[in-house]
Amino acid sequence: MAKKKEDQGTFEYSYRRLEDILEKLENNSEENSLEDVMNYYQEGLKLLKICRQKLSEAELKIEKINAEELK
Amino acid sequence: MVKEKTMTEPITVSELTQELKALVDSEFKFVYLIAEISGFKRHSPSGHCYFTLKDETSQINATLWSFRFNYLNFKPQDGDKVLIKGKVTLYEPRGTYQLDVTDMQKTGLGELQAAFEKLKDKLAEEGLFDAERKRDLPEFPERVGIVTSETGAVIEDFKNVTRKRFPIAKIFLFPAQVQGAGSIESVCRAIRQANKPEYNLDVLVVARGGGSLEDLWTFNEEKVAREVFNSRVPLVSAVGHEVDFTICDFVADLRAPTPSAAAEIIFRDKNELLERINQIDYYIKIYVKDTVESLKDSLENIKKSYFFNKPVDMMNEYKMRTDEIQKDLEKLIKEKLLRVKESLLHREKLLKSISPEQTLKRGFTYVIKDGKIISRKVKVGKDEKMIVRFFDGDVEVSS
Repeated sequence: MAKKKEDQGTFEYSYRRLEDILEKLENNSEENSLEDVMNYYQEGLKLLKICRQKLSEAELKIEKINAEELK
Repeated sequence: MVKEKTMTEPITVSELTQELKALVDSEFKFVYLIAEISGFKRHSPSGHCYFTLKDETSQINATLWSFRFNYLNFKPQDGDKVLIKGKVTLYEPRGTYQLDVTDMQKTGLGELQAAFEKLKDKLAEEGLFDAERKRDLPEFPERVGIVTSETGAVIEDFKNVTRKRFPIAKIFLFPAQVQGAGSIESVCRAIRQANKPEYNLDVLVVARGGGSLEDLWTFNEEKVAREVFNSRVPLVSAVGHEVDFTICDFVADLRAPTPSAAAEIIFRDKNELLERINQIDYYIKIYVKDTVESLKDSLENIKKSYFFNKPVDMMNEYKMRTDEIQKDLEKLIKEKLLRVKESLLHREKLLKSISPEQTLKRGFTYVIKDGKIISRKVKVGKDEKMIVRFFDGDVEVSS
């Protein structure tokens, strides 16, 4: 699981980061500078797009392992 | 119940049949029967089953409706010894009777059942079922292996559910023979293969559709159980129907009641995720808007605050002070000037009172020689010019 979290190409990375950003905005509203908020916002918009795209455009891939490999 | 028919009056075939039917229906509502199956046929497409139940000397036709067939925990075959619950019915158009089977169990499973319990106890004692070693499944598995038959409903169901729920995933099918001779080795090999690092799997599913206890037996074998135990990849066991429990289920990190249920457990639903993403979208925008607005408000407040308005106040104050100082200064200067003037006048009077003018007016004069006043007689020589000053003018004289 840890290996996945760091892999920025996965859905999991983008989705978790998105939840993370929301939490940061929700919980540290006092400490966030305007610059922080705007940075989170920009990143959030990017991640929203990535997550939506992945979910709606993905096509299930299936790989059958050749029986000869099963030795 | 049985009517004493004298047969003096003839009745129709239908009437006889109806009377027989009423008799059978009431007398043989439910029977339990021990028998052997022969001539088993499943009718297509209805799915109803027709077969004969027999013992050494007698036989009876039997029917098993399709919906009941689906609830059996085994697939009936010719020669199977079975315990049946059923109802005797009479089929009027043909005048035949048969057994309507409502439930059917295979008998003679005592040995397998005992082996199952023995292995279960042994592996439990060794700790293969321990709850502490069960691993959590990753929340978003993108590489999922499945060990199952490459033909049949299981892989299709699994693919369909996955496609609907989380199409981001990639499924790796490790084909295995799931019953019969060689199936134990085949399943073990597939599990070992799926654990190779090159596949980098997040989850591995071991699946098989429903079947009889013998059909599922591969998954009650010690070798398979140990292979499941050794899996480095978190493993989900989905063998048989909901009611079937196998040793494999107990060893696995998680048991799914059916192969489709496995896909439902493993993958979060795409639509729920999209909904959550919309929610996050909404909240992020709200928070950003709130932040910007509250910053605007506080800017406005700062502008209005005493601190920011102080310079203007101070300026005004200074202006007033300077005006006052100027006035004070002017007043001071005036007073000083007046005082100087007065003192000058006084000194003039004083000077006048002691000046020689007054003395001269009383008739005195004084003599000036070479610009100097002559105060002694010794300083005057012969034929020297001098000036005698009266109060109203000078007269030139010579000695």
